[in-house]
Amino acid sequence: MISLTAVHSQNFAPADLPAAVRAALGKPLRRAAPLTQLALVGALACLPAERRALPTALLWQSTSGPRLETLTLLDEVCSGSAEPMPYDFLATQPAMAAAQIQAFLPGLQSAMHLPLNSVGVAHWALLLSLAIVGLNQGRYTQVLCAQLDHADDIASGHWLALSSIALENSPASLHLSRSGSCDVLPDVPDFPEKLAEWLATGNAKAVSLQSPVAMSQTVEFARL
Amino acid sequence: MTRPVFIAKSALLCARGESPTTVANALWNGECSAGQRKLGERAFPYFGLPLDEADWMVRAEQAIRQVAGQLGPLPPETPLFIASSSFQIGHFEQLGAPFDLPAATASFSRQIGEWMNLSGANSSFSNACTSGFSALDAARSLIAASLIDDAIVLGVELANDSTLAGFAAMELLSRTTGRPFDTRRDGLVLGEAVAAVHLSAKPATWRIAGLRTGLDGFSTTGPNPDGSRIADVTVDCLKEAKLKAADIELIKLQAAGSPGTDLAEANALRTVFGQQMPPLISLKPGLGHTLGASGLAELSALLACLDADKIPATAGFSKVDPEIALFPKVERSTEHIERALLNLIGFGGGLASLIMERHG
Repeated sequence: MISLTAVHSQNFAPADLPAAVRAALGKPLRRAAPLTQLALVGALACLPAERRALPTALLWQSTSGPRLETLTLLDEVCSGSAEPMPYDFLATQPAMAAAQIQAFLPGLQSAMHLPLNSVGVAHWALLLSLAIVGLNQGRYTQVLCAQLDHADDIASGHWLALSSIALENSPASLHLSRSGSCDVLPDVPDFPEKLAEWLATGNAKAVSLQSPVAMSQTVEFARL
Repeated sequence: MTRPVFIAKSALLCARGESPTTVANALWNGECSAGQRKLGERAFPYFGLPLDEADWMVRAEQAIRQVAGQLGPLPPETPLFIASSSFQIGHFEQLGAPFDLPAATASFSRQIGEWMNLSGANSSFSNACTSGFSALDAARSLIAASLIDDAIVLGVELANDSTLAGFAAMELLSRTTGRPFDTRRDGLVLGEAVAAVHLSAKPATWRIAGLRTGLDGFSTTGPNPDGSRIADVTVDCLKEAKLKAADIELIKLQAAGSPGTDLAEANALRTVFGQQMPPLISLKPGLGHTLGASGLAELSALLACLDADKIPATAGFSKVDPEIALFPKVERSTEHIERALLNLIGFGGGLASLIMERHG
């Protein structure tokens, strides 16, 4: 059985993000782009210290991507002396996030970043399906799935943590289902908030995730 | 419950040619000339596509449609998995300030889907140099789990100054040529490519026997020189494929001529293969390092080489680095290969190993 072990959403004013990182680590994270900082504070919030060395995958998506950093880079390349400051280039590379947080999540074995192609639509169903497949195959013990976005006025992270090890306080289990007979939640960037609401207020035993990715089965959450 | 996943067809457009077969022939003939791309006062060797169009977006459409044509007719609902590290940033460079970036970072992928007449699921993957194998891993995982039956996995990396400038600013580029594993290697030579594979549950000549991705957080720009993380990924890949190291008959190296990464890869290979090192080749001296497209471009090219039983020599290598002490093939051969390992080692810590095996 695959357990949902954490449902977590965070919103920060961008200026507050470094302080959140300091609070999580006890020290600042030097030369880390905002998406990396978001990834770090979210991952640490989802995984207690005793589970950070377990074999882990990080699957994350983003609508904004490193938009502000890309604008800075474009300005430097097109309007400046042709070659940017190295850090400004590195900040446009979202794949860096995983490498930089591995020091704090020693079990982090693999990471996959999916930039999104439309506003308001997410690929949680794809991330969760891949997570379920990976956990069922024993590739990992736990998988972190996230949506991370960063804009002028807000930095947000929405997280679901899945584990192949059942935990006593797990609120739900997940599986792939062909039935589709239960209530459906939309596949939107803040899906974890919707799921948290369902877990807190609903009575239904199960809910599935509507997916724009046409697959033969849907992700279904069963309340524990 | 998993099922095998096959490569039904592949397509490739890169500096060496306009199909996997023409690219394989060019590599067999030792073609490795590169053009040049200027960046301010500096000029770098660069493997550009054979397209004259100056407008970035029109040129992108030509490239994508050309590759889609190679794949042949597809059901429009076929899921599309797109790998890139730079998407359409070159288009915004050409338009100039103010830069009107789309609100969704991978909106270019929707345009690619339209050009390919694929209106089904469309997802994007951006993990620097390992993007292609990340997308391949996602697609084949869904097929193996019977969630989908077919998928197109497309790698696209098109010319832009931002990537070139970023690598140049970090002094990671060669000013001459790519020299994998050579003692004179001094950096990468970048290039463009559009490549695609049609994955299917239906049996075909080549089966994905193993595919594993990993992460090395030693540094954001390169792996641990001891190669330990790279070796771990390769060993995991062999386990998934239920193969021993001795079963691998050919290794397509990551080796791009990077001083640090080449050494790490060599150390990893020694750890895994010891004294039974299979023949090694690098395709980057002929194709350039095509970053997010490199995995799929090199996979398409390699399978075409193997289909023809024509394994090219590795251009750019002539003088072994004693610290590396491994020798890519400098003579081409006509060996028949049943199983090949392909390595990717990415900027930003991404790692991937893929084992392709002939079926039947």
